[in-house]
Amino acid sequence: MSNTVHSQSFLRKYIFSTDHKTIGAQYTITGLVMAALGGFLAYVFRYNLAFPGDAIPLFGELTASQYNTFITCHGMIMVFWVGMPILVAGLGNFLIPIMIGTDDMAFPKLNMMSYWIFLFSAIVLVISFFVPGGAFGGGWTLYPPLSANGYLNPNPSFFKALFYGNSLMIISVALEFTSLLMGGINFIVTTINRRAPGMTPWRIPLAVWMINIATVIFMFSVGPLIAGAFMLLFDIVLGSGFFDPSRGGDPILFQHLFWFFGHPEVYVLLLPALGVLGEIFPVFARKPLFAYKIIVYLTIVAAILSVVVWAHHQFIAGIDPRMATFFSVATILISIPFSGIFLAFMATLWGGKIRIELPMIWALGFIGLFLVGGFTGLFLGSNAFDIYAHDTYFIVAHFHYTLFPSIFFGFFAAFYYWFPKFTGKELNKTLGYIHFWGTFIFFNFVFFPLFFNGLGGQHRRIFNYGMFDSINIEPYITFEKIATISAICLISIQIVFIFNFIMSWMSGKKAARNPWQANTLEWLAGSPPPHGNFDNIPTVYRGPYEYSAPETDADYLPQNVQP
Amino acid sequence: MNIFPENVSTYGQGIDQLFWLILVFAGTAFFISLFILLYPLYKNHHSRVKRASYITGEKKSQFFLVAVAMCILALSDFIILFAEHDTWETIESLPKVKDVEYIVIGRQWNWAFTYPGPDGKLGTSDDVVIDAPDSELHVPLNKNAFFHLKAKDVVHSFFVINTRLKQDCVPGRTITRWINFTKQGKYDISCAEICGVGHTRMRNFIVVESQEKYNHYIDSLYKQHSAVAGN
Repeated sequence: MSNTVHSQSFLRKYIFSTDHKTIGAQYTITGLVMAALGGFLAYVFRYNLAFPGDAIPLFGELTASQYNTFITCHGMIMVFWVGMPILVAGLGNFLIPIMIGTDDMAFPKLNMMSYWIFLFSAIVLVISFFVPGGAFGGGWTLYPPLSANGYLNPNPSFFKALFYGNSLMIISVALEFTSLLMGGINFIVTTINRRAPGMTPWRIPLAVWMINIATVIFMFSVGPLIAGAFMLLFDIVLGSGFFDPSRGGDPILFQHLFWFFGHPEVYVLLLPALGVLGEIFPVFARKPLFAYKIIVYLTIVAAILSVVVWAHHQFIAGIDPRMATFFSVATILISIPFSGIFLAFMATLWGGKIRIELPMIWALGFIGLFLVGGFTGLFLGSNAFDIYAHDTYFIVAHFHYTLFPSIFFGFFAAFYYWFPKFTGKELNKTLGYIHFWGTFIFFNFVFFPLFFNGLGGQHRRIFNYGMFDSINIEPYITFEKIATISAICLISIQIVFIFNFIMSWMSGKKAARNPWQANTLEWLAGSPPPHGNFDNIPTVYRGPYEYSAPETDADYLPQNVQP
Repeated sequence: MNIFPENVSTYGQGIDQLFWLILVFAGTAFFISLFILLYPLYKNHHSRVKRASYITGEKKSQFFLVAVAMCILALSDFIILFAEHDTWETIESLPKVKDVEYIVIGRQWNWAFTYPGPDGKLGTSDDVVIDAPDSELHVPLNKNAFFHLKAKDVVHSFFVINTRLKQDCVPGRTITRWINFTKQGKYDISCAEICGVGHTRMRNFIVVESQEKYNHYIDSLYKQHSAVAGN
């Protein structure tokens, strides 16, 4: 099956590769490049918010129209071109085959095609910055009629309209979903069909469970949005009226289609990160993952509930107030399984023998920040308070406290944990700690002050608060400055990460096969794992979390060791 | 320092109080969670422990505590839901008494106001429309003012910060919300939903004044209007 040493050309090995690890690296690196772009956009508009009217270093003057474009694209990029490739596609590709003990994905060529379509979607998005009128600037939620009526031009011709920022954004999103659907099919089929002998469902590591559940949520919820995106595209280029009330359409319909996907999407990004925590906590606590099976069940419950909470984004959009009560209850219900999952992670630490290493500290930072995001969600899930807090900086701070830990802390935890495996090199620890503390501290200084700006009534997506005397006051002006300066520091500290990444990869110390003394199958493969992963496909004898088990004196017991 | 701007509506107090109530629950839960997360880092540090305990957490007795914590959280969630329900219903449903009413239309990029004409009815030919940036909507103090919210072009969101009311205005729909002002003054109406390049300067005012002054204003408005119409 595996174990054949291929001699491959450079092009086949690194560019048009069908190897799941190379494709995972391609996704991750593309995601990181897009993160740099998204971060730069954030720097530009945050600078403008703190120092309105000033020329921005490295950019120049920002117009109101560019500001709208930048906030829109920042959101789009960070969710769809950073979160999705890094957490779902990247981690899924790296981890699924090797953790379930097989040589590659079920459909390697489909996997390669999925990446190239993804790259194409990113290119289409970047191109949209350069078309007449620039990229779309009507908010990442794409609400029509703003996104549907030519935006720039009331009566666009077919070909002209295709090359407007809003058309290109919709096309790039649709392309990206196509790519991720291919990736998703691969993940699920691989997990179901290609597990190593003995890898029963309850011996699958949590990370693989979580990525698969996230994929199922994604595939289930994405259909309506793709339909909605195409209806929107038809409205723009063909002049149909799906969302145009003057021709019998309804703008709220799009909001439903968007959030039916948009809310589950949050969990699509959260679950892989939770899977990473599920791998890291047991290893560094030397203790089995607390309630592994119950976590999986709770996740499935949360996944089912995730498709009936969407309208909590629309409490004030004009939906029936009685319907809002249903979504409020559903939103509160979904917090219950997640509280169980987080408590189970924390319970894993109690009674353990805890080593604080780099992956562990990122995982702990993740939970610390996510708690803030989770509990501020209580305010917004309560529909009465949401009337006031909706579309203010309170909500901006809240979702950054959920998405930033998921996407970046989740990714960095995974990065510091699996880097020795997939490159065969050790990372520099000191630089790692500088990177962690810099990111953790500056992140809080960016977003914690913004809670107060939101409570003070500052509504979001405003280019310049000069018009609003009642909210353009101290301390909010100072808070904006603190947030901006911290955001610049937060972005700058990532240079340490890039430096560490490149230097360690090129000239780091050689890493051992199993440096963390972990149980799961990937640590059995060479570092870095060769094409085909394992010398021989391993046989699995037990679950992934047998740490400090009574049957052995060592404090870990790999899945493949014969009893 | 007050974290909320001044409240000038009858129901705004309810929203502010709700914040503090949720903060008590969320804050307590946050610090307890933080303790659960951080305490073992000290107590179970590898230098203090010889060997970790083998606890899978799959047994009922082991999961019991987590289940209890989940139930407590669910319970406090529902307490919040019950506590906020009255406020939600008050704001989202209309009071029986309607004292004054206006049509407010969001458009790129200002709010347009329609006062009923001398016949006291909206939707008739004598209505007075004011459609200009920086214009003011005058409303009387301590009266139930109804706002029929509409949008002309794209989605806007009617946000009067000091009353805590926010409501999206959707093309093709008329959504009615109400405010009863408790204090005289001039307040911002902003737009809370991105509506294009002028979103940042979409701002008009609500001027709250005594009934007397209000009547006076309306009279002069009618005179101005009929003078314009007469020409």
